[in-house]
Amino acid sequence: MNLQLFVNGLVNASLIAPPAIAFTLLFGVLRFPNFAIGGYITVGAFMAYTANVIFAWPLVAATLFAMAVTALVVWLSDVVVFAPLRNQEPVTLLVVSIAFSLILENLVRLFFASDVRGFDIPLERPIKVMGARITPEQLDILMLAFAITVAVHVVLRFTRFGKAMRAVADNPVLAQVRGLSLRWITAGTCALAGAIFGLTGVFAGLDLVIEPLIGWNLTIPIFAAAILGGIGSPMGALVGAICVGMAEELTILVLPSTYKIAVGFLIIAVFLLLRPQGLFGQPEIKK
Amino acid sequence: MLAYIVSLATFVGFFMLLAIALNLQWGMTGMVNFGIAGFYALGAYTSGILSSKLGLPVGLAMMVAVLAGLAAGAALALLSGRLRDDYLAIVTLGFGEIVRLIILNEDQITEGPRGLRIAEQPLAGWVSVENYPLLYLGLVVLAVAVAFALSETIRRAPMGRVLRAIREDELVASVLGKAVLRHKIRIFAIGGGIMGLAGALYAHYVQNISPDVFLPMVAIFIWMSVIVGGAGNNWGLLLGAGIVMVLLEGSRFIGDIAPWIDAEKLSAGRIILIGVLLIVTLHLRPQGLIPEPRYRNKFQRKS
Amino acid sequence: MSEALLEVENVSTGYGKIDIVFGASLGVAAGEIVSVIGPNGAGKSTLLKAIAGVLRCSAGDIRIKGETVANRPPSEVARLGLAYVPQEANVFRQMTVDENLTIGGWVDRGHVRERRERVLELFPDLRVHLGTRAGNLSGGQRQMVAFGMALMVAPSVLLLDEPSAGLSPKMVAEMFAAVKKVNATGVAVLMIEQNAIQALDISHRGVVMAGGEIALIDDASALLASENVSELYLGTRR
Repeated sequence: MNLQLFVNGLVNASLIAPPAIAFTLLFGVLRFPNFAIGGYITVGAFMAYTANVIFAWPLVAATLFAMAVTALVVWLSDVVVFAPLRNQEPVTLLVVSIAFSLILENLVRLFFASDVRGFDIPLERPIKVMGARITPEQLDILMLAFAITVAVHVVLRFTRFGKAMRAVADNPVLAQVRGLSLRWITAGTCALAGAIFGLTGVFAGLDLVIEPLIGWNLTIPIFAAAILGGIGSPMGALVGAICVGMAEELTILVLPSTYKIAVGFLIIAVFLLLRPQGLFGQPEIKK
Repeated sequence: MLAYIVSLATFVGFFMLLAIALNLQWGMTGMVNFGIAGFYALGAYTSGILSSKLGLPVGLAMMVAVLAGLAAGAALALLSGRLRDDYLAIVTLGFGEIVRLIILNEDQITEGPRGLRIAEQPLAGWVSVENYPLLYLGLVVLAVAVAFALSETIRRAPMGRVLRAIREDELVASVLGKAVLRHKIRIFAIGGGIMGLAGALYAHYVQNISPDVFLPMVAIFIWMSVIVGGAGNNWGLLLGAGIVMVLLEGSRFIGDIAPWIDAEKLSAGRIILIGVLLIVTLHLRPQGLIPEPRYRNKFQRKS
Repeated sequence: MSEALLEVENVSTGYGKIDIVFGASLGVAAGEIVSVIGPNGAGKSTLLKAIAGVLRCSAGDIRIKGETVANRPPSEVARLGLAYVPQEANVFRQMTVDENLTIGGWVDRGHVRERRERVLELFPDLRVHLGTRAGNLSGGQRQMVAFGMALMVAPSVLLLDEPSAGLSPKMVAEMFAAVKKVNATGVAVLMIEQNAIQALDISHRGVVMAGGEIALIDDASALLASENVSELYLGTRR
């Protein structure tokens, strides 16, 4: 097997995995597929760009800034846009979230136009490992994505807040009856997911180029990974991300690269027809 | 100015056709379709290729386009009719994107990103060139009226009641002995056919079609039309489609009278406006502008 | 009824705009067990949900230790010392028994360790299952987890919705014994039961509900003795 394709696939997977996990966290607590992820990631990328290139902050500071702003945006969007509509059908909320994604993306377009941009970082020579090339930024992305996945897993399993998130995702009414405040846990989940989306924006800006569509282009692979892993299962989302990331890269062997997006869809379609609950998800119990 | 209004009205007509079709699929059976652009493109390219490359009469080519939409709708529903809403959303979205990617890549047949030129037009030569747009508008209005009547007939017929039963509770509907999947396939196919017709009408109207028109965005706009207008209500969605299309196309007009506004900013502002419209409408009128008429049953009398 | 820990006054409640319970009034004092009996659809569970804050009241007032809780969110009601155990979906299925108990002690986290020990003394069966996902337990064990979760906060008012539903006769007896043991520490207990006779046996008073209204409140022994009640609601003739 071609090692370069494998490396590319891994980098691709590390762009997808953290936001796919964040997406399932949000889904667990909010109970609808929030497709505004694309808009959030775009906001993250451009906030980091603003801090890094316009304010001339170092990239690490700019990244933290982007994570904070995106967390705020995700939380505010829930309070202002989605929470008042919680009685609507999930599909209506899905359309609203896509509309909201378009609003965010076009707000960015309004201020920054569609020009292609990049971070202000020194160009570094790619590292060669057994003939496969990987840039230092890609290496950082790879390691950070892995660290985040492990960190989220630890938070969910061992911390008070993580258990509360799982409890709300499991049974929201019972969680409230046991004294958990839905408002605070929702806010906390939004902030955590938002920080991850912001970071993904920075990753994507490092690996690709910064433009308003940066988030939308990642939306389908992210959703595919989440579905593949079973919505609501962070570890599943990681495995899903690796499958989707690899599959997208390996497609290039057999099809023109423009068909890359279709692969994500085909994986989802075939998979859903065979196993609607995902790789790790529990079969849904009918009420 | 008149020409502009006629053209705007024609575009509103395309949107209305798509919205009527979506309302059949979602508003009346609860089946989600985010692949509207795929059906629209399928209709447009089927009719366009058949008439411009193979020389089929336009009327026949358009009929084949309708059949293509029907067949695609039936096939998609057959494969995924049992899926959950959010999953069906992604499968249909994928269908739309795959159709677009095929058009983009198989350029020996579709001309790919260069765009397909279609000289042929229906009823060409019946009226003078300057009056032709009016005739075409009439044709589109006729199509909308037929689709509307078909949809209303289905809504009022016993089948409409079955469809609502499916939407409200699949288990109940299937226990009642209704073949849920068969009805779903039938309705999804009819919806697909109407979308195919809309595509064909669009193709012969603009006479130059390219894949970048058939982005997933089309589905989002139609969804907004149906939700803003009021899901399940055929009058509401005509209003919704009108509002969304007028905002989309009508704001281009601002560019004509105020050329100093940057086109990119204008198009961004337009999309923001439509998004905000959707969200504000849902906050103020959760059932849409013209809600679905209530169907009384004995459980509702208590309230 | 002034020293009642839980006071329900003229409460009407239901789902959405449709009321199912009309003008219900009752009180439960510290150290008292009150059982609510009545046919299916009488509005028993609905009334309990309203007390716990899960449903809104369209009229009336609910007080715990004199403080109004009607129409406050369930998490606030829980913080005032009320623990409600629903009949269904009463455990976190994806979480282990231990995690369930930890969440149970959410509002009073200082005492999680000692209270978990007390719950395990009350239900020794759970000890070996601490690491098991609640969804994989038997119905009876799940019921114990649900009850145990409520005890993690040392509640002053306990609402139980059919604690014995679906249990084997031996487990029913065990469950009632546990209720009695908890009650002996001064907890006010309001419970719904289909096993009306057994429930009334351990109760101080009984509430009979029918058609969304409270038909009768009396001492448990009086209800057990009353021919009318036993014929209508207890399903037995004496």
